[in-house]
Formats: sequence, C-alpha cells, structure tokens
Amino acid sequence: MKTPKGHRLCPVRAQRRRTSVLVFLFVVSLIPTRPFLGPPAQAQNPSTTAAATTSEVFRLERVSVEGGAELITVHAKLSGLETSASAAEASQWVPMVTVLRDTLGDSSPENDRLRYVWPLTYTRPTMRQRFLGAIPFLYARVGNKKHVSDKAPPPVMDLAAPDRDVWNRIFWTALQSLLLDPYGTPVKASTRSYRQNVSDYRKAHIIRALSVLSLYQAIQGGDGGEGRGPNVRPAFTESELAEIQARLLLTDKTFGGLIDNLQLARYSDKSSTSALDERGHNWELLRQRAEAESLYFEPLQMPDGSTTHALLWVAREDLEKNQSRQYVKRFLNIECPWTDKQLKNWRGHVETRYFDSESRPVSPDEPGARAVEMIPLALYGLDHPKIPILLVDFRDGLNPKKREMSRRVLQDVTRNVLSLSRFGDVPYFLGRTVFDFVTGRRGMDVNQPSRLRTYSQLKLLLALNQSLDSELREEIGNRAEKVSLNPFENDLKAEARVARQQYAALLKYARSPKGLPAMLGRDRRAELVAHKHEKVERALFRLANILSFGKYTHREKDSPEIEARLDISRRLDYHTRFLRQVAQSSPQIDVVWNLEDVNRSLRFIAEHGSEADSRAISATAEIFSRTQDNETRRTCLESLSRIDNPKARKELIRISQNTDLDPAWKQLITSYLHSPKRMEPLAASDATTRANGSAQQ
Amino acid sequence: MIFRARLHTRPSSIRANAHLVFLRLITAVFISLIPSLCSAETKRVVIIRVDGLPYGLLDSFAKERDQHTGKSRLPWIDHVFYQRGARLSNFYTRGMSLSAPSWSLLDTGQHLQIKGNVEFDRYTLHTYDYLNFIPFYLKSAAGQRIDMPGTEVLDSLGLPLLFDAFAHEDRYIGFQLYQRGMRFATLKDAMQTRFMKRPRELLDEWTMGLDMRTPFFDQMERELKTKLNDPNSRYLDIYVTGFDHVAHHVNDRRSHFSEMQIIDALVGRIWTAIQKAPQAQETALIVISDHGFNTSEGVYSQGYNLVKLLGSPAGGGHHVITKRRLMLDYSLKGINFLVPLITTTTDDSFYLTGQSTNYPTALLDFDGNERASIHLRDSDLNLLHILLQQLQRNKKSPAVRSALVNEFFKTIDNRRAEWQNSLDELNQELVALRVQIDKQRQLWEAEPKKFSPEEIRLGRDDQKKRVYAQLERWMSQEKSYTEYTHTLGNLLALLKESFAADKLKLDKLKIEDLIAKQTMGERNSVYDLQNYIVGLTPGGLQVKPDGSLDMVNSFRRVDYLALLHSIAMRNNVQPKVTNKPIDMIATRLSSALVAPVLGENGLTADVVWVYGGRDKQALILARENERGTLSLRYQPIRNLRQDAGGRVHFEAVNWEPGFPLHIFEDSELDIPSGDRHAWLSQWHTDVEWLRALHKTKYSNGLIGLYEEIARHPTESLALDAPGLSNRERLMRRFARRQRELIETDLLLIANDHWNFDVRGFNPGGNHGSFFRISTRSTFMLAGGDGTGIPHARLIEEPYDSLSFAPTVLALTGNLRDDNSPVSTLWNKGFRRFPGRVVREVLRNQNPKR
Repeated sequence: MKTPKGHRLCPVRAQRRRTSVLVFLFVVSLIPTRPFLGPPAQAQNPSTTAAATTSEVFRLERVSVEGGAELITVHAKLSGLETSASAAEASQWVPMVTVLRDTLGDSSPENDRLRYVWPLTYTRPTMRQRFLGAIPFLYARVGNKKHVSDKAPPPVMDLAAPDRDVWNRIFWTALQSLLLDPYGTPVKASTRSYRQNVSDYRKAHIIRALSVLSLYQAIQGGDGGEGRGPNVRPAFTESELAEIQARLLLTDKTFGGLIDNLQLARYSDKSSTSALDERGHNWELLRQRAEAESLYFEPLQMPDGSTTHALLWVAREDLEKNQSRQYVKRFLNIECPWTDKQLKNWRGHVETRYFDSESRPVSPDEPGARAVEMIPLALYGLDHPKIPILLVDFRDGLNPKKREMSRRVLQDVTRNVLSLSRFGDVPYFLGRTVFDFVTGRRGMDVNQPSRLRTYSQLKLLLALNQSLDSELREEIGNRAEKVSLNPFENDLKAEARVARQQYAALLKYARSPKGLPAMLGRDRRAELVAHKHEKVERALFRLANILSFGKYTHREKDSPEIEARLDISRRLDYHTRFLRQVAQSSPQIDVVWNLEDVNRSLRFIAEHGSEADSRAISATAEIFSRTQDNETRRTCLESLSRIDNPKARKELIRISQNTDLDPAWKQLITSYLHSPKRMEPLAASDATTRANGSAQQ
Repeated sequence: MIFRARLHTRPSSIRANAHLVFLRLITAVFISLIPSLCSAETKRVVIIRVDGLPYGLLDSFAKERDQHTGKSRLPWIDHVFYQRGARLSNFYTRGMSLSAPSWSLLDTGQHLQIKGNVEFDRYTLHTYDYLNFIPFYLKSAAGQRIDMPGTEVLDSLGLPLLFDAFAHEDRYIGFQLYQRGMRFATLKDAMQTRFMKRPRELLDEWTMGLDMRTPFFDQMERELKTKLNDPNSRYLDIYVTGFDHVAHHVNDRRSHFSEMQIIDALVGRIWTAIQKAPQAQETALIVISDHGFNTSEGVYSQGYNLVKLLGSPAGGGHHVITKRRLMLDYSLKGINFLVPLITTTTDDSFYLTGQSTNYPTALLDFDGNERASIHLRDSDLNLLHILLQQLQRNKKSPAVRSALVNEFFKTIDNRRAEWQNSLDELNQELVALRVQIDKQRQLWEAEPKKFSPEEIRLGRDDQKKRVYAQLERWMSQEKSYTEYTHTLGNLLALLKESFAADKLKLDKLKIEDLIAKQTMGERNSVYDLQNYIVGLTPGGLQVKPDGSLDMVNSFRRVDYLALLHSIAMRNNVQPKVTNKPIDMIATRLSSALVAPVLGENGLTADVVWVYGGRDKQALILARENERGTLSLRYQPIRNLRQDAGGRVHFEAVNWEPGFPLHIFEDSELDIPSGDRHAWLSQWHTDVEWLRALHKTKYSNGLIGLYEEIARHPTESLALDAPGLSNRERLMRRFARRQRELIETDLLLIANDHWNFDVRGFNPGGNHGSFFRISTRSTFMLAGGDGTGIPHARLIEEPYDSLSFAPTVLALTGNLRDDNSPVSTLWNKGFRRFPGRVVREVLRNQNPKR
C-alpha cells in the first residue's frame, strides 16, 4: 500500500488487513491436498469386487462404485519389506496406486473418463510434520505418520481436469509473490519452504505412481491387461496408460495441464525414450568408471528387468594392491578407497562374490569359481540427467545429504533470504545461468532438480527387489531415509502401512452413499459446464473457483437426464478426438485407418450435429480431403451438413470451391447447403449415386 | 576457352589432346552401340535416404498388425513397398557398416575409397571429417566451400555421384553426407516455419521440449514436394537421421517403433505427393539405407576406451589424437562446433612427456563405434627420435655415443631408399601442383562476378565456388606437404661422418628439423606393429660387446596385435556380452610377401590379414580375371610374424571352428552340398561368397574386409591412360598418394555389443562391424505402372551396396547391358559399375542374366 513516492496510506488498517490475509492464506496453505478438487464427500454402497492376480509382482483389483464407476488398484508384492521369513504372503501385497474410472455405468469405453489418481502412500501430513515443514532450512525427516484417519486419501490429480493444476500453480505463485513475500524474510522463507515441501512431497508420490504404472505396464506387456482372454476388456488400454503417464509427467511443467490431449501419446513416448536414454548413459558411465578405477559394478534390477540403480564395490584384496593407484573422483563423487583407513579396518557389511574366468558372476559351486570378498562403497540412481546420482555413500553418510541439500540451500538462500530473483536481478540471472550451465555441462550433481525421482524409485526398488541381501537392504533403506530433506516423508514401512490403511479408507469412502458416489455426481455436474456454457462464462467460473481457493465450483443442476447428456457429450469428445487423430495422421487415411471406425465416428458426429464443436468440423472437413473412399466422403459431407454451426457451412463451401473436386460432389454439397437439415439416406439420392460413380472412375 | 588457351600456351600437347578427344569419341560410339539394360520409362526417381535403417526390424514391424485398425503397424511402408513395390530382404552394406564409407559406395556404385567417417593424412594430419556439417555450413557461408568434404574427395578421385547423372536444374538434393551445393534458404525457411505457428501449438511444443532438428527435415520435405510439381525434375532425395540417432541411445522396441512410424509417415506423405504430381506413373520411390543396426532389447552396448589404453604405459604411452572430443557432453569445450584435432595428453609417455602438441604418436578414429582405426607413428621415427634425444644428452661414454650414432644411421639407411623415393615423388608432384594452382588461380580470376537467374538455376554460381574451393584446397595441400618434404629432406641429408665428429653441431640440431612435428610418417610394417618401439627400457641403453647397440634390451617394445586382442574387463555383468572388447584386428599386407609362402599366383596386390589371436588368424586372398571379376579365398593360418628383414612367416592350417568370422561353424552357412572343408578352401567369386555367407553371423564380412582394407584403383586415376601429360600424370599420382596416406595401421573390430565410442556413450546400439545385424540394410522400391517395378515382390537374392547406383541408373534407362553408363553419363565421368544390377525390379528382365 504505497503511493508512487513510497508514502504509506493508512498504515495501521493496511497492516491489519495484510495480517488477516496472511493468517488466512497461511492456514489455507497448510492444506497439502488439492484444494480445487472440492472436499471429498462421503460414499455409498460398493458393488462387486473383481480381483485378478496377474503376476508374482503385481496384481490388479477392480472395485465397482455405485453410480457407474470403478476403482482400479495396482497392488505390489513388497517382498523387500519383510525381513521375517514367516511373514504371511498376503501381508506383503500392498496397494500402490488407485485410479478412478467413471464409466457412466455401462461397458462402453467411449463414454469413460479416467478421473482421480491416488498414490496410496501419499497422505496428509501430521500437524507436527506440517509445522516442521514450514521451518526454513530444516532439511530432514522428522518421523513417521503414526495414525491414518479414515477420511478418503488425497488424490494427486484429476486426469479429467488437468488444467486446474496450471491455474492453481499460477494463482499460488502470484499470491506468494504479491501478498506473502512483502511481509519479510521469516514469513517469506517459511511459506516458501512449506510450499516447496508440499510440492516435493506430491511430486515424489507422483513419480512413485508413475514408476508403479510403468512397471505394471512393462510386466503386463503394455496392454494394461490382466492376462485374460481376448474378449475381456483390459484394466487400462495402451492409450489410457500413455495418457495417465503423460498427464502425471506433465504435472512437473508449468503449463503441462494445458497440453492438447492429442499430444499425450507423443509426449509419453518422448519421455519414455528420454528416461531410457538417461538410464542407459548412466549405466554405461558408471560401469566404465568402475572399470577404470578397478572397482566392481553391480546393476540392480526392477522386476521388469530394467536397471534403475547400481552398487559399487571394492574387493578387499585390491585395497592392499592398489595403495599407490591414482583415483579420479569425478562422476563417482566418493573418496578414494585406496588410501582410506576406514576401509582397511572395515566392520560394516561385507559379501563374498564368485566369478568365473571371464569375470562373470557365478554361484560358489561353479567349477573354477574365484571368491572375492567385497565391501560396498556406494549406491547410485541411474534415472538422473547426465550422471548417476549418489544416493548412499557407505563410508560417509553426510556425503549424499550434502549433495542433496546443496541445491535447496542455494535456492533458499538466494530467493528467500537474499530476495534475488532470476527475473528481477540481471547480475544474479547471469551468474546463475553460468553456474547452472557449467555444473550441468560438466555433470556435477550439485545442481540437479531431479533427485526426487531416484529417491522415490529407490524406495520402490528396495521394496520389490528380492535379490539384495536383507542386511544390506536394511542398511541402504536406513541410509536413504536419513538423506531425505522433506519433513513430510515417511519411511518405507510406514508408507506400506499408510497405503493399506488409506486403501481401506478409500474403499469405505467408495461404499458410502455420501462418499465417492456423491463426489462422482458432483464431478459429472461440473463436467457438463463445458458443454453448456460459452468460453467467457467458463472463464468466470474458473476465476471464481480459484479466488475461493476451490471452495466454489460451478456445477449444472442435478436432473434425471444428466447421465444421458453426459453420455452424449463424452462420446462426442471421444469421436472428435478420434477424428482429429485420424485427420492429422496421414495424407490418405484409407491406408492407415479402418474406415469402418472412421465412418462410425463420423456418423455419430452427424447424428449429434447440434452439439459438435469446431474441432470436429475441422477434422471432418480434413478427412474429406484425405480419403478416396466414397462412403466416407459422403458421411463427411453429411456430418458437416448436420452440424448446426456457421463454420460447418463455411467448410462445405470451401470444399465445394475446390477446382479439382468432381462436379457430382459439388452438386451434393450444393443440395446440402440449400437444405441443411435433410435427413433422408443419401446413398439413395441421385447425386450420391453420380458422385460414387464418378469417383470410382 | 580453356582449350584455346592451351593451344596457345602448350602447343606440344595439341596432338595428345586430339588423340584423347578421338579416343573418347570412339569409346562413346562404342558404348552407344551396346543395348540399354532396361527399356524402362522411369522418368523420375525420389529417394528417401535413411541413416541406419535395419531391414530386420523394419520387416518385423511391417508384418505386425495394429490391434485397433487391423492394418500393418507401418501402414504406408506396407501399402507402398510390400503391396505395390519390391523389397530386398537381403541387402547388405559392402565394407564396414559405417555411414561415410557406406554412402560413398551407394552413391558411386564403385569400390570403396573412403574408409572411415574420419580419416587422417599420415604426413600432414589433415583431417577428413565426413560427418561434421557445421564447418561445412560455416565455410559455405564464407564462400570457401560448396561441397561436403566427402564429395570433394570423390571428385578428386574422378568418381561422380549418383545425382550427378542428372542436370543441376533437374534435381533436388537434401542435406546429406555427400552433399553438393548449399541452400541457406532451406535453413532460413526452416527456422521461420519453426516459430510461425499458432500460439497454442507453440505453447504445447515449448512445454514438451522444443525440437530443433525436425524443422530442417520438415523444410526439406516441403521443398521436395514443391519440386515434385516441376515436370522437369528427374531426381529428388531427402535424408533422414532420426532412427540412427535414437537407436544409438536406447535399445527398447517402443522407441525404435516410434522412429519407424516417423519414417512410415514420411513415406506416406511423399508417396501421396508423388501421386498428385505430374508423371506419377513414371516416378519411382526408393527407400535406401546405409547400414543396419546392432541393437538388442535388454542388452546395453558397452564402450571400451582405446585412447586411455594407448596413453597408458602398457599401451605405449602415446599422446593420442582424435577428431571427436572425449566425453563431449561433459566438457565445456564440447560446445565448440568447429572441432579441431583433439589431443589427449598422457603423463605416461616414455620419451615425449610435455610434447603432446608437437609429437602425438597415435591417431585414433573410433567413429562407427563397433570398429576403430589406429595410426601409429612410424616406429623407426620413434627410434630415431629417442636416439637423437640420447645423443643430445651429455655424459654419454664414447662407446655409447658411437653405438647410438651407428644405430641412428643404420636405421636411416635401412629406410633410405623408401623415404628418398617418397620424397622425390612428392617433390615432383608438388611442382605439378604449383603449376596447377597457377592455372586454377587464372581460372578463378576469369570466372564472372555475377550470374543471371538462369545461370544460377543451372548451377553456374556453384561451379564458380567449386573452382575457388579447389584452389584453396590445393594451396593448403601445397603448404603442408612442402613442410613435410623439407623435414624429411633434412633427415636424409644428414651425414654420419660430420654427425659423429662434431658434437657441437649435434647439440645445435633441432629435433623438429629432422623429425617432422605432427606427422605419422610411413605406415608401419607387421614387424613394426609386433615390435613397436615406445621408449627406453628401465635399464636404459645397453651396448653389446661388439660395440653395437643392444636393440633387444635397450628399447621397450609393444606387440600391438597381441596386446589389443588380449584386453579383458573385470566387470562382466551382462550374460550376452563377453569380457573381451576386441573381436579381431585386420591390416593390409602386400601379396608379394605371402604369395611365395602359399604358392599362389595371380593374386591382386593386397592381402588382408585378420588376427583373432596367435592361433586363429586368416588371410583373405584376392584375384581378378580378365573381365575384372573378383574372386576371394580365405586361408586359415596361425602365428604370422614378420622378421626384421621383412620376410613373413606363418603356418597355413586347416579349417576348424574359431577362426575370424566364425564361418566354418556357422549353421547358416549355405554352400552347395559337399565337403565344407573343400568348398571353403577354394576360390569363389564375391557373389558366390555372398550367397554362401550372407545369413551367417558375420554375413558378408569376408567380402567386406577385403573391400575395406584393400586398395581399389580407379580408372580416372590410372597413370597409364593414353594421352596424359606429365603434369596430369603427376596430379593423378598425387591424388592417389593422398588416398593411400589415410590408410591406417590397424582396423579393430569390436565383439558383439562392444563399441569404442569415447565421445559419449552409445548404450542403445551401434554399427560399424561386419555382423549381419549391422550390415543388413534396407532397399525398397515402388513406382507407377510406367516404371515397371513389380508389385508385392520380395527379392531374397542377396545384393550389396554396389548394386544400388547401377540399379537406379538402369531403372532410369541410363545403363547399358554391360553395366556401363550411357554415353552422356560416360562423358560426365561415370564408368562401368562392378556391382550387379537388381534385375528383379526392372521390366522384362531376367534376374539370372
């Protein structure tokens, strides 16, 4: 509240107002769950439960929800958690991720909507965790959540409304900069610290959910099926899995929620290739560095055979031999083992491994097997840009923690204490850019933003991998937990417990008539807004939602025909999306697509012409120009003629103006333009007959 | 005009030129009498060139059905080539499965002249970097270059490229390794189009990661499609590299399929554009690739660092030069696109510590990754260098000094004849070169300064730039070779008498005046490679009782063949990968050395020695009949050594499992029924070998090794051609010498799933070897009815790279029945093609002919 010259206006009132706003915002910001999803209400009757064990690692469970939806849950067998051999197998299965599919109560996939994703290890922090999460520079875990309430767990995102995340993020960034930051360093530092922890915590669990779904997909062969017969609908289609993965990945991007649905498959492919590229590079870099330094390299595999982490070992016999050996620390980021007194008197974990004459690991009873006593040096994550990331240093527990903290400290000090911003301070911008470039280019892991991913995956690996020695696994687990910077984090066993309890709560919520079924109804009414209101109105509704911190969400009134309207609008979306995909894919769609499918979609558009949007019109017109098939062309024209929209008419005119177009088609278009609502079957008309005939010639 | 100038300035050559013209006329008339191979009406060819597209993988995707549409997963490739065209299921790279050599074979249809993606001149360390586009763009912008380096080299050898068969104004050439001409408008338009999009699209792209490579390919595609509408255009091509790039990095099927889909869509768009363009019925669409790809899901390709080995004491303590920066992605200097020679200095050099800039002693080309080539400095230069260093040091007893001087001159005398001959010949060639430079300068000065639009359309402006580029290249060569000759001349001019008597003079001698800096000297003999001198022994110089230097105990030596083949790793974590990175090593021997031992007559000049360990070696022998048909024989041997006197010793042995290329034990070996021993021990033509071997693990490796290692004379550089002036002959000899100077000492071939990439990592997969998976490439054709290309034709007969160019020329009616080009092409420099035409794709042609 300053004049242009800096004099304060009503300082007391202004300060009081600011304080009240601040308190309000702070309280609101303490809600880590998604504020704009609306409070999860209560549930009603569950119906049937179908479970199918699909492999030794994952199984899938489908639970029907009253009102026409189903919860699809991936359970994982976390053998790594159990150290006792007598543990019952059943207790090892832990629900990992649940996705809600709104089916509108039928079996047709065309009107389905994937909605909420619940990584079941993701929970609301305790008050203690929240409080400590707001303390700046407290880079440590502070214990586990002991009791999980019976409220429904928080979802990480709504797949049907990904754009909400974008507005949410923009809103909070603006709020932070405009309202909270001016209150001075303590407020700024604590609120930013809290938001950072909230964001990191959510991100970590999104990554976990992604990893679980990727593993599930890899193990199931990519069809998302459950090992059933060909006529049984799989839990997720390939494109659904790609969509889920892409949407979850895009939560990391500022405008990720605004990406066109048609781009999702490409983005998913691109991300997958990029991740595999990083992993392969790191695998090879670490192997070569291990070889160059006379160390031993041991890749650690996930159940699908992918290597996400690796261990480095040193042979005890080499410690004596290599005392004067040169050691290059770059990329490995651990101290020289050859001159380390700690290693000479090593009392920690040791394993004896056996190798054949070609240095291949073999069993001890293999003829000619050579025994080597080995000491673990470090564990690295391979899913990291540029270099393998050090996660556990068996000699120096603080080493990975320091690396883990380095970026946060740099960021917190510059932004929260020194109030430097890339956008507001040119010297800082230049310095930071150079620093980022040099450290990034040279592969220094002090400035990488993606440690979360590898930590998150390490937890999964430890839980799923059975090949690791239990003692070693325990030690890795303990060391990894100590490196965590986030007060919201829980340890592995606590997470498994939380997941089971939250899943139980989710099922209860699904059974309650006021729970998930009611929420489903509200979401459906909100979904209809897009089909009932124009752009400007929708923008205003969104603004209201944002400004009310998600408390207000505009919904259409409940009515008996709501499901029927939703059914049509979703099918229209489905067919529009399909037709857009067809139109963009190929210069001649007949070669690439099954025309029956295309015609079916075109007919649906034609039948519901009054509700089709401009994207459907463009796609239909495009398809007309990209097919040689007369029936498809005729259906395109028919669809365009029935869409009650000036754009459709314009497209018809544009097509008719094509000089290369056969006169019979032109005549047909003219007849449509003159009597747009004519509904009789066109195949019987003279014009179509002529058009068919001429096109065939 | 040039001809008139000659008449005035060189009247003595009038008759010779007249003879030449007459001979050319006679040849042209003779050629025109030979019937054309094909009565085809293919008026236009459109070629999609794909870097590293493995046929096996493509075929498997094309045959898979999409579960939603019920169509092929590569619907356009299926539609165009599987249903409406022809495809070769056994088309192989001849030679190494490596881009620059492979494209040169495909584009010229002649035997291999370019032997690597990177080549070094041993005398001057001039680098031929065939893959680096950036320097080419920059030099083009500066007006210094107009053609890619590979094109310049082939031009210097008189080998025209396939698209040279078509007039400048009738062709559209995409950006590629053997590019001729440069279009900056393409780059500019690509960038414009990149950002001239709807904001929503740009936002999506920005969020998903801006792709800066694709726009250039998209722009070329747009230009190609525009050019299709020009009824005069007869040749169009586009080059795509996405699959190769991705497959180097990742080995998963999903990523590979994603890239294949991009190629499939491109095929669809271009095919559709062809159908809408004029002459659709007479247009052929061709997909061709330079090599396959050794990529396997679940197996990482492992790298081995040869630079580190060569720099280590065991490897000889070399300062090593490469053309690619080691760990490029992790170095700040890696952002420099104008990659200079990269020297990796070692602290373990035995006598050149701190002199890495002046005296690198090893050159390494690891490009291609499943193979590497090594040049080592002439071992005798190492010896002379060490002896000079020792002589210049004080406190040497007279006896030791005398022994050193004796050995120094003994070494020079042993090589004097060879070195003097090189020096004399090079000096003669440099004289001719200087004259040529003057003429080129005059030619350049006579070039017009401006060109009309019509002249530009005809490519006259490019021709002018070509004249300048040639002038600039010759001037640079003249300078660097002259420097080399001066130093070698100094060395050969040394006199033992004055050298021994006058110590003061010796102290004043600068080593760099005698041993040229930055040169490798002559190629090493087998003896040298097995006894390579890298420094003094820890005991230092030893003098024998007779006063001579004890050469055995004074010098540290390395047997490179044994060393390289014995390398083994301690981390062997992948079940399908061995712990030994190197499979085999190959080098060229003179047939004069081995023929007497084997009792063979009529061998060609070169024999390939393949080393797979002391007891597992082979010689690949070759001979040609009077019609030029190449025959090869594989002789298993063991323990090949060369003595100091130059004689080669080895034991010829019988066939058994374990020899290089593992032919004998391969279950896919397809030979006529009978004794495997007997068949394999006989001479067979290259085509017979190809038919027998192509499905084995190493496929056509036997032919490929010979293609890669042996020298292949070209008709255009024949020194005995009639009517040549002395200067022309010397210029031809100079061009030949330059090609010979890039010949490496050793070619290393990696074991399966190993590579030598040290620029970064290629864990996804690699190529470069002779494995079938790396050499099995793609060649598919389709066209309108006028082209005569059959529909739905699967051709299983094996062919190799040499078949591509003649097949395209035959398709367009440019080839005669005897594989010679039609007269118009003959006049452009095209000559008889050694490869077989794929007759199965020609109208009314019997493949068995």
